[in-house]
Amino acid sequence: MASTQNMTLNLKIWRQKNNSSEGKLVDYRVENVSPDMSFLEMIDVLNNQLVMKGEEPIAFDHDCREGICGMCSMMIDGKAHGGYKNTTTCQVHMRLYKDGDTIVIEPFRASAFPIVKDLAVDRSAIDKVMQAGGYVTANTGNAPDANAILIPKPIADEAMDAAACIGCGACVASCPNGSGMLFMGAKVSQLALLPQGAVESPKRALNMVHTHDTLGFGNCTNHAECEATCPKGISIEHIARMNREYLKAAFTYHEKKRSEGAG
Amino acid sequence: MSFNLDPKIPAGPLSEKWDKHKFEMKRVNPANKRKYTVIVVGTGLAGGSAAATLAELGYNVLSFCIQDTPRRAHSIAAQGGINAAKNYPNDGDSVKNLFYDTIKGGDYRAREANVYRLAQVSNNIIDQMVSQGVPFAREYGGYLDNRSFGGAQVSRTFYARGQTGQQLLLGAYSGMMKMVAKGKIKQFSRREMMDLVVVNGKARGIIVRNLITGELERYAADAVLLCTGGYGNVFYLSTNAKASNASAAWRCYKRGAGFANPCFTQIHPTCIPVHGDYQSKLTLMSESLRNDGRVWVPKKKDETRKPADIPEDERDYYLERIYPSFGNLAPRDVSSRQAKFRCDEGLGVGPTRQAVYLDFRDAIKRDGKEAIAGRYGNLFEMYERITADNPYETPMMIYPAVHYTMGGLWVDYNLQSTIPGLHVLGEANFSDHGANRLGASALMQGLADGYFVAPYTIGNYLASNPMEKVTTEDKAFKDAEEAVKLQTSKLLGIKGKRTATDFHKALGHYMWDYVGMSRNEAGLKKAIDGIRKLKEEFWSDVNVPGDTSNFNIELHTAARVADFLELGELMALDALERNESCGGHFREEYQTPDNEARRDDEHFTHAAVWEYTGANSSPVRHKEELVFENVKLATRSYK
Amino acid sequence: MVTNAVNHYCRSSIGRKHLVAITGLLLCGFLVGHVSGNFLLLVGPDAFNLYAHKLVSLGALLYVIEAGLTGIFLLHLYLAIRLNLENKKSAGKYQVKKWTGRGVTIMSASMPYTGLVLLVFIILHLKNLKFGSYYPTTVDGIQMRDLYRTTMEYFRSPLNVTWYVVAMIAAALHTSHGFASAFQSLGLNHPKYYKSVKYLSYLYGILVGGGFAFISVWAYMKGV
Repeated sequence: MASTQNMTLNLKIWRQKNNSSEGKLVDYRVENVSPDMSFLEMIDVLNNQLVMKGEEPIAFDHDCREGICGMCSMMIDGKAHGGYKNTTTCQVHMRLYKDGDTIVIEPFRASAFPIVKDLAVDRSAIDKVMQAGGYVTANTGNAPDANAILIPKPIADEAMDAAACIGCGACVASCPNGSGMLFMGAKVSQLALLPQGAVESPKRALNMVHTHDTLGFGNCTNHAECEATCPKGISIEHIARMNREYLKAAFTYHEKKRSEGAG
Repeated sequence: MSFNLDPKIPAGPLSEKWDKHKFEMKRVNPANKRKYTVIVVGTGLAGGSAAATLAELGYNVLSFCIQDTPRRAHSIAAQGGINAAKNYPNDGDSVKNLFYDTIKGGDYRAREANVYRLAQVSNNIIDQMVSQGVPFAREYGGYLDNRSFGGAQVSRTFYARGQTGQQLLLGAYSGMMKMVAKGKIKQFSRREMMDLVVVNGKARGIIVRNLITGELERYAADAVLLCTGGYGNVFYLSTNAKASNASAAWRCYKRGAGFANPCFTQIHPTCIPVHGDYQSKLTLMSESLRNDGRVWVPKKKDETRKPADIPEDERDYYLERIYPSFGNLAPRDVSSRQAKFRCDEGLGVGPTRQAVYLDFRDAIKRDGKEAIAGRYGNLFEMYERITADNPYETPMMIYPAVHYTMGGLWVDYNLQSTIPGLHVLGEANFSDHGANRLGASALMQGLADGYFVAPYTIGNYLASNPMEKVTTEDKAFKDAEEAVKLQTSKLLGIKGKRTATDFHKALGHYMWDYVGMSRNEAGLKKAIDGIRKLKEEFWSDVNVPGDTSNFNIELHTAARVADFLELGELMALDALERNESCGGHFREEYQTPDNEARRDDEHFTHAAVWEYTGANSSPVRHKEELVFENVKLATRSYK
Repeated sequence: MVTNAVNHYCRSSIGRKHLVAITGLLLCGFLVGHVSGNFLLLVGPDAFNLYAHKLVSLGALLYVIEAGLTGIFLLHLYLAIRLNLENKKSAGKYQVKKWTGRGVTIMSASMPYTGLVLLVFIILHLKNLKFGSYYPTTVDGIQMRDLYRTTMEYFRSPLNVTWYVVAMIAAALHTSHGFASAFQSLGLNHPKYYKSVKYLSYLYGILVGGGFAFISVWAYMKGV
């Protein structure tokens, strides 16, 4: 705990009107920051000052403010979500900073994440990867009894580790290559572990990886910076499992074109 | 104008109503489904599951959400679990038990037939979610695990660590993504619904704001599903997400949808207490913590010792004392109220004295730290991140906070509002939880509505009603868009001295102080007066910078606050008119000698449904009488 | 159909990553052989020259092996450069960027640079040693090249030794990330074994890089 007294902070925040305009870091000063404030509440205070001066507030993404929706982003001093272990920006509290600190705040950047305005970016590429196979084809009404297929506890737990992904994109933003392997690997791995998802695992691995590659994400070179910044602590073991699934699928998955014919 | 509040409950015995209704409903044949377009607003559990299911059936779905992707809807934040009547633990659970607990939990202010159906489909939900790859907690044998939640004496809650809502939502979202890929769902993100378009008495479209470009867009369809969640943010501080708002539902109310029981608000007992006026939201600590945590306050007023130094006989485990049979798992309304009573008596703890202890000392002693960490590790970490206190060593401090709204747009058995074609699902409707919702039932209701109810009843609606051709060039669309534009330019033109958030906080104070956990006539009148004045000030003194040409977050906020101000007044009015205490609605005038809620079944066994009659006239209160044929109304007791 | 699948695989991010991993591991294997052979320098000129002569006597087979090795090396090089250039484009360009200290390491961050050092090194190495001065000698009555002398002469220069040691530090850094990384790329990351693979990777880097470097320093000391 660095501070228990109210602080004054110097902020350098990225301002950019929209995706087609140039942006720059702008200096701000915020006074009376309580150590119990969350990082976003500190930005709220700044925005309140800006609005009162008739200036446009800083646009930033946020929603649940309890670390689960994945909406908040921000590179704080060059680290995604501030770089604290298992923590999203909304859960970073100001007691981690000292009076007089200068904090640089930039948006999540990657060529797959164009800037919308200021600190808000467009992460729809994540949805597009999910559309390529991040699901089990189980239409409503198909399901057998929930206990009909047994799943060993360690497997279910491991699937849950992967499923914890909140889709925030910190992995992409912090990756030296702008790669989307961790969030994609988490989904491929989760569904490959579970018998319900394993059925279409090969096709999923192929389609998701190929879609990922077309969206401007980079290639993985195993730095593991994604794992280090992931607010849900998702392990690169899940990338490994995806690599395995992909290898298997690339050489064995085969779907012959057939005419189904009318009955 | 008068409302048709026929609930359209099918005849026959309770347990056969839904099957009978499914048989009798009209269906749209597969080839014709693709000729219909359905708008789904919101992508939480209700909206996401409905959009996916309708698209699977063959309808063209237009789906809208306020966040940058459907996966962020606030259902994601639900922690503890989802109920179902599977009876896997063999503790005697059944559909009838779940039905009964929910009716009783709701203090006999919900519709029997709806609740029974909810209990019936609860099991299908678990099956469906498992088949979609939701990694629910399991036993070593591979079977699903259950835990207990408040207001029930069986273990019927399925869970995925402390992230059940997230896992279920991602399940529904994955179903949506599958159908987006197939072209059956068109997904529109970062859109906010600004108005409902009604053509010839039927809901036929919506006006939305594209939050990024600032432009207004029109969308036409054959039916509109509103799945926009609750309005807890009217209190400013709540456990809801920052973007959760009442505007979509409120604009529908103004277009003729009845608003039922607006005063029924759930105050959740276990949240992290407020610590400063800069605070932007409250964080819930899952109810599941009460499985192992013991709630207590010191017996001595203004206690200054550390909790660990207070001996056993100087602690008051008040829930265990007052409700020996349910103990720490007493329902939410009851637990919240008791926490408030203790703090009002001066027994509160912490710097603000507005908190009680939730203590894991005994559970850690009994089961070991590791076992407790296994159950609640992520919640403990979250608590420590926010408060810098370690719950393994010192008890958590908790206080009630606004969490859920049982009230919402009135719907019949088919989930249709008073506007034909406008169906309302999930927390946005009023239907299943009466005056108090039990833990782990919100997820159940959202998914029941979206997966297993609306997909059938929408078919029935479309097959039973001729659909005239409607395009977005029709006058109704133009008029609706003009109205939104007018309001927007008005907001931007005021250029006053206070921010929209400042007004929102002021509204929140009125709501929490007078329309919160405990209400009385004088306070409610004061609130109504105060909110009216605040509304006037808002429209003359709010400051909204910028314009409509881009991502203007202050404008979005201001438009939502404008609606909250009106809704807040209606909530106070509804609370004032309901001269009884029931569930989360506690009127101080109506209590038993031992401070329990006293219902007035003779006069208030009904849902109050409010009709909008214009900006300058008072809304009209209608009633849907609740008929209990299967459950005997009794005093709700958890003692 | 088959060519299509292979084509797809070889163009995909993961497919290429597999190929970098496989070629990298093969090169790692080659280095183990190479460093083991080099230790024969310590035994003496005859042992070393005999070993070198045996390799040369493989004849056509040697050319096949050499061609294979060159192919593996060039593929590794090509893919690494290609992926690197693509990644430069995909990555976010920040005003301020810091690592958390729990992910990126000196080894992983310097892969392209250590790789380039090794490329330059290998070219010079082939020029100076494999295609360096030819001295004939006779061991056990067999005429052969005195590679021992070429090598020892080369290491007489402090400049050459310094450069050699620098290159071997690069090799150690490169392989200690690359070795474990290849297992991860091929999906061989299991919580039960991966920690050992990581230690093995560091050990590999130290032993192989250190082994080569040690011999060069030994040779220099011997010549002084």
